[in-house]
Amino acid sequence: MKFKRSMLGIPYVVFLVIFVLLPLAVVFVFAFTDGSGRFTFQNFLGFFRSSRTIATLVYSLFVALVTTVICLLIAYPTAMALARSGFRRKNILLLMAIVPMWINFTLRVTALKEVLDAIEGNLAYHPFLNTIIGQVYDFLPFMILPLFNVLDEMDVSLIEAGRDLGADRRSLFFSVILPLSKPGIMSGITMVFLPAMTNYVVLDMLYNSTYIMGSLIGSYFNAYDWHNGSMISAILLLIIVLFSMLEKKGAAR
Amino acid sequence: MKRLIALFIAATLALAGCGATDETAPVSDDVITLRIANSEEYIDEGGWYADETIELADGQKIRGVDSLVSDYEKWYQEKYGKRVRVLYSTYGTNEDLYNQMTLGNSFDLVCPSEYMIMKLMREKKLEPLSREFYDTDHRYNYYAKGISPYIYRRMEALTEGSEPLTDYAAGYMWGTLGTVYNPAVVSDEDASSYGIYLNRKYRKRITIKDSVRDTYFAGLAIEKEKELAAADPDYATILNDTSQTTVDKVQDIITDMRENAYSMETDTAKQDLVTRKADASLQWSGDGVFSMDQAEEDGLDLCYAVPEEGSNLWFDGWVMLKNGINGDKDKKQAAEAFINYISKPDSVVRNMYYIGYTSAITGGDDDTVFEYLEYTYGSDDDDAVDYDVSYLFDDRPGSHVLRTDRAQLKRQLYAQYPTEDVLARCAVMKCFSDEANRRISQMWTNVRCYRFPWER
Repeated sequence: MKFKRSMLGIPYVVFLVIFVLLPLAVVFVFAFTDGSGRFTFQNFLGFFRSSRTIATLVYSLFVALVTTVICLLIAYPTAMALARSGFRRKNILLLMAIVPMWINFTLRVTALKEVLDAIEGNLAYHPFLNTIIGQVYDFLPFMILPLFNVLDEMDVSLIEAGRDLGADRRSLFFSVILPLSKPGIMSGITMVFLPAMTNYVVLDMLYNSTYIMGSLIGSYFNAYDWHNGSMISAILLLIIVLFSMLEKKGAAR
Repeated sequence: MKRLIALFIAATLALAGCGATDETAPVSDDVITLRIANSEEYIDEGGWYADETIELADGQKIRGVDSLVSDYEKWYQEKYGKRVRVLYSTYGTNEDLYNQMTLGNSFDLVCPSEYMIMKLMREKKLEPLSREFYDTDHRYNYYAKGISPYIYRRMEALTEGSEPLTDYAAGYMWGTLGTVYNPAVVSDEDASSYGIYLNRKYRKRITIKDSVRDTYFAGLAIEKEKELAAADPDYATILNDTSQTTVDKVQDIITDMRENAYSMETDTAKQDLVTRKADASLQWSGDGVFSMDQAEEDGLDLCYAVPEEGSNLWFDGWVMLKNGINGDKDKKQAAEAFINYISKPDSVVRNMYYIGYTSAITGGDDDTVFEYLEYTYGSDDDDAVDYDVSYLFDDRPGSHVLRTDRAQLKRQLYAQYPTEDVLARCAVMKCFSDEANRRISQMWTNVRCYRFPWER
């Protein structure tokens, strides 16, 4: 057997088939069958007919949207400040933004719960606020990192050129820096928006017991309803595909 | 480069080999492999400190050094002269276990709750217990000799088809559903009714369970309040009502309960009670005992109440699976021996100490379990009171009366060993039909999902 470079890909292909393609196939088989194993669209029709499930989808999208926007608003200035600071300090500052990610997630949210409790008195009165705070806290590093990478590698001469050509700080930011950092914004959004739609653990731990898409999957599986559970998973997958197509279009423009 | 590929292949083979050892390691004929699955932290795993040793009045010293599972392996070899190897695994919930089994994991012996046992019986997945298992003359039949006659009768009364549960299941732990509360804030009267979960006085200061069956039960008891208050109600029928009209009414009640609650939780109530975020919470008696123990360490006294309306008597039991045992007599014998070993009075004490739940085993002629009760809750104080648990231990009235602190009448002892009148108003919540399950899970989705403002 002669070695070809493409052979190096074998381990990944094996991994892909076993852990990605096969489970996906199982999900789709269940999503399109009923209890007796017959092909059906009923699961999907049921989803779009019930105002409860549609409301859950809308609510999840809304939670994810608010989380993403707030993350972006906090992360952009942070990443900018990090990228612009002197070389030595930069890595330490970046580290400080990343370090929370090293701590166990459950532990972090439990700690956050105590902090919020001390501030708010009773968490139960502000479920939505807590959800957003928890989600932002959890996902912020995923927004900072890609933004930092883009801003850090940005060619300074382009900014200087803009300044030489008479741009004030405002137009310098909006016509030079922001467009150049678009890839970072895009990957940041992908890394925050989609997980935020399904990450129900934070919600459960901070006591907003309103279901989002992720919790809906769990609840169906707990009721032995694999078909509807898989259907929700398939819908989420569809949203992800749509989203990445939009993103590609946006990036191409 | 060839070497690289060879290395890769070798690695793959090695990995495949590793995976295989768990399932099909070369086992010689005289080793029986027993695959046991149980809930997490639901058996003594040993590792007790020396000062945790339980010294009973008769001089018996009990301490979990190794896990009960490995002790069983040693015991089996000693008593039966055959080697047994236990492959022990754990699962989160009954539903997880069921899903694992559906996905093709096979086990020989598992420990689900009563409703799951009934579901498995209905699906003909269980291997019946052998006749010898109930033979009280056999030396090592600790289960048959030690099972609480009262609990046995309650299990026997549960039937699936025409078969009683006792044909398939050996009781393990049991308990009630009740309210753990902080007596400094919540009055005993408020705590003794499910009404507390709708009481605005405790708005956002109580927790309910994030579990359909448990919370449905509480909602159902509120809905059926009047029927339950009538003279001599039929608890078993009323508390198993899953008709559409009832489910609809319960949905409104649970929606209100949720609005009034601090949280719907699975295991944070304990923490929230101790940190005073919550004043009362719906809990299983065993978790209640644990909460009270923990709170005591933090200097907070909590109490436990079983609502007057009625409550849920639940139990977990060991059952053998037909496709796991697969007609293998030796395996079945080893599985039944495992049940017997963990029903040995000293194993029972170890488990109760470790888990905090109440064992279905009271020991029969052996006094170890009762002595453990005296060791834990007994008191010589002048104001100590009598606490009668005879009905659980044997059928002779007044045979097992404990002297205990007055406070224990509302605390751990009451949670762990409730009085007979409490259990008289408890019903077992059966396995619902598929249709009822769908209704209830739809109800749950309706409660938990977001509502558009115009739909409220």
